[in-house]
Amino acid sequence: MTENVPVAPATTPEQAKASAAQIIRDLDTTSGYWAAVWTICCLPDAHVICDAPIGCFNLVGTAVPDYTDAIPHIENLTPSVMREQEVTMLGTAGAVRRAVDGLRAIHPDRQMIVVSTAESEMISSDHGDWLGKLDPPVSFYWSRSLEDDEWVGRDRVLLWLWKNFGQGGVKDQPVLARAVNIIGPTYGCFNSPADLHEIKRLIAGAGGVVNLVYPYEAALKDTPRLSESAVNVVLHREYGDGLAQELGKPFLHAPVGIRETTDFIRELGKLLGAGDQAEAFIEHEKKTTLQPIWDLWRGPQGDWFSTTEFAVVAGRTYADGLVKFLGDELGMKLAFATGHPIKPGEMDNIAVRNFLHKRQPGFVFGSINEKIYLAEAGARATHFIPAGFPIPIVRRALGTPFMGYSGAVYIAQEMVNRFYETVFNYLPIDTVTPAGGGTGGPPGPAAADTGTLIWSDAARAALEARVEGIPWLSRISAMRDARTQVEAYALRQHINQVTPEVVQRAIA
Amino acid sequence: MSEMTKSIPAENPSSNHQGLSAPSDLGLTPQTMCPAFGSLRVLTRIDGLQTAMVTDAGCLYGLSFVTHFYAGRKSISAPVLGTKELMAGNIAEAAIAACTEAAKTPGTKLVAALSLCVAETAGLTEEMLPAQINGVDVVLIRVPAYAIHTHPEAKDIAINALLKKYVAPARKTDATGVEAPLSREGPDLRHQVILMGEVFPVDPLSVDMVLKKMGASLASNLPSRNLDDYRIAGKVGAIAALHPFYTRSVATLRAAGVPIVSGAPIGADGSYGWIKGIGNALKLDPARVEEVASEEREKCRAIIQANRIEGKVHICGYEGNELGYARLLVEAGAQALYVSTSIEKSLYTAADEAWLKAHGTVEVVYRKTLEQDIRALDKHKPDLVLGTTPLSVEAKLRGIPSMYYTNQLSTRPLFLSAGLAGTISLIKDALSRAPRYAWMREFFTGENDATDALNAKPVINTMD
Repeated sequence: MTENVPVAPATTPEQAKASAAQIIRDLDTTSGYWAAVWTICCLPDAHVICDAPIGCFNLVGTAVPDYTDAIPHIENLTPSVMREQEVTMLGTAGAVRRAVDGLRAIHPDRQMIVVSTAESEMISSDHGDWLGKLDPPVSFYWSRSLEDDEWVGRDRVLLWLWKNFGQGGVKDQPVLARAVNIIGPTYGCFNSPADLHEIKRLIAGAGGVVNLVYPYEAALKDTPRLSESAVNVVLHREYGDGLAQELGKPFLHAPVGIRETTDFIRELGKLLGAGDQAEAFIEHEKKTTLQPIWDLWRGPQGDWFSTTEFAVVAGRTYADGLVKFLGDELGMKLAFATGHPIKPGEMDNIAVRNFLHKRQPGFVFGSINEKIYLAEAGARATHFIPAGFPIPIVRRALGTPFMGYSGAVYIAQEMVNRFYETVFNYLPIDTVTPAGGGTGGPPGPAAADTGTLIWSDAARAALEARVEGIPWLSRISAMRDARTQVEAYALRQHINQVTPEVVQRAIA
Repeated sequence: MSEMTKSIPAENPSSNHQGLSAPSDLGLTPQTMCPAFGSLRVLTRIDGLQTAMVTDAGCLYGLSFVTHFYAGRKSISAPVLGTKELMAGNIAEAAIAACTEAAKTPGTKLVAALSLCVAETAGLTEEMLPAQINGVDVVLIRVPAYAIHTHPEAKDIAINALLKKYVAPARKTDATGVEAPLSREGPDLRHQVILMGEVFPVDPLSVDMVLKKMGASLASNLPSRNLDDYRIAGKVGAIAALHPFYTRSVATLRAAGVPIVSGAPIGADGSYGWIKGIGNALKLDPARVEEVASEEREKCRAIIQANRIEGKVHICGYEGNELGYARLLVEAGAQALYVSTSIEKSLYTAADEAWLKAHGTVEVVYRKTLEQDIRALDKHKPDLVLGTTPLSVEAKLRGIPSMYYTNQLSTRPLFLSAGLAGTISLIKDALSRAPRYAWMREFFTGENDATDALNAKPVINTMD
């Protein structure tokens, strides 16, 4: 048995230096390697061989996309299967060669692309030269997994795909006047099928014709067709600008919120020479898709938005978009917002965790990390709304976008319905079946018999202090519960004057 | 639509992919969750234990994702570890900093530092970490995926690391070779058993009931949420290593002088043999043990007789406990022509393999690959496949009823007579769902040879 006597912490030189190391909690952004696999594997005529130990293959190809993209596994991904002997003695060329030869027998029509991983980069496994000499040549992509995050990684691999499989194939392809490409999504982009569906709808409304959705609905052999469009739409602000700039056409970012969406349709219409059609579409949308926002705004629900607080931790597009829509347009109060990639001044997860442990806004848009922090804090009155990875979730239905007009309606609808949930859960109820062996009926006589109790101002202030930090919506019932608790205690103790001390003792 | 949209597959990428054609004799894709997850799953569930992971961003993201989902729902600390930090050679400092952050959580009794591929390659070793940080114990768990091949084996590594920390060395003997008496806390630990292996929560209760009939009882079940359960592991009368992959933990406990019983109480023969083994290890009254074991065997047989199944079933998991499960299905009437697992062949798999081979199993494959499992579909044409995620995809693509082995296994009892009915009826039910799998396949792929084949047979369970 180990002696478990606490000892004074010895400060070794390592421990002293350790205080300088940068620490993260619950990492929310993955690496350049994941970006490469999740981008290239959307293209069914490409096959990625990851130069990886079995774990890096399973996580990126099966374990995680099962729960981010609701696909059983990524089928066009195979590992080189790095083992101890490859790491310490042999290097991975033999393992990669075996995978290449094996896969060519099964999938002779696919373009093989070998992608480096953190571990292969650790041992400097660069296979570019010899893979290029194979017949037909196999491509090698150094994913900078030890340097780049998933956003930089997606941007970089999209550009690499264009330079290696697109640019050279462009032969007298005409630019089609109203053709619009959408750059993004890839695997692992939160809610992308619904957002993509909405953006396609907006493009059509503004007079455009969707040409290529790259890479999500494209094949590798389609890559040269990126040159055909008149305008490009970049679905996420997190990545894709690099490719859009290289393509040299005007490009727009997909919009979130009413104002941004209106600007988007208008600008796209102008770029396509379809200004009138775009204006007509906006007018029609106001009376159809977007009408619920106007109705909710004029109804009692509209008042509630301005008195409710929210927080966001999500991808940059969603974080900025929700702040604009919920904060600027609907007038909700913002507790805090953090986007990925993070900007200077935004809270990291350690700060977010500390914040949520102390105070919980009525609505938190986030990932499983924020959900964990809320659970750690025992938050009961906060609505958690999934808004970004990491989190296991199915978002394959097309009717749940955050982007565009449909997105504005979906978000507002979702929040009002959560509000109704709160009302349902917090209204006083008479139970039919007694809980804990009581007699059923109303929660107890305390409140009814307490008309003679005198509350001092200080006691009332102490009670109010108790419910601070609880979202407004739930504060009514929290206040009622706390008051009932204090008064029941006072009655039991035959106290007729409630002081701060009584509050303290009653809600200890 | 204009002509330029013609060649666009207006579909999600996942719908573009066809299934794997049966490959030649290749084995390209070993089947396992990231091995390190096995350790994380065991460790993050322990009360008072906090985790620090020493690894690169991609690995950290993936393992945090699955751990938050399936295992601990517990915040995970880690150092930033990119080229810059690795080049600077500050791996020990980074690990210590992450452990220090992890230890800040109130109530922390133990910090587990997980050393993964990149940290191992950078040379993180046990000597670099202090035994305690700010008064909290620290244990290093080394699970690089390139050296540990499957996630069951990583569970063994995590449990063994805790046992090594908490289990005392072999019992002392006096000059005449007699064992010194154990300290007694509550009931005599020498008449108690610890189950080693993850099981459905009801199974230990069934085991305890049977043990009590023989004058013994269950002390606990490892992996456990309670660190104290690791502390008493060296003092109990026997360890029942339910699954064959706990080789390291078993070696540690054997060295501490604890008798080990291998195998699990699954099915009629399995339950009988297991009860006898436990009786032997605990030196219980042989007559009473025989009586209880026979009674349990008879109960199992009665249940099996009343719940016969028919059909060819492939059992192809990566959990390392597929062989025992296959035995049960065979006893219940199924043909298990093909059984595969990700763990390696060992002393502890021998008995089950021999039993299966004697009862019609043609192939038992260890360290299997996806390609081997798929070839077996072509060869044996099973009626039901209990598989890994990718194998189940392939089976369903062929219209063969299939379920993900891990999930099905972990959601119902399995042990002794109490565990039989649920498991057998699950399989029976799955076998009867063939028309649904055929219908789905035909609807989505337009292929229907399975439907034709089924139409030739009487359809057991129609859609209406």
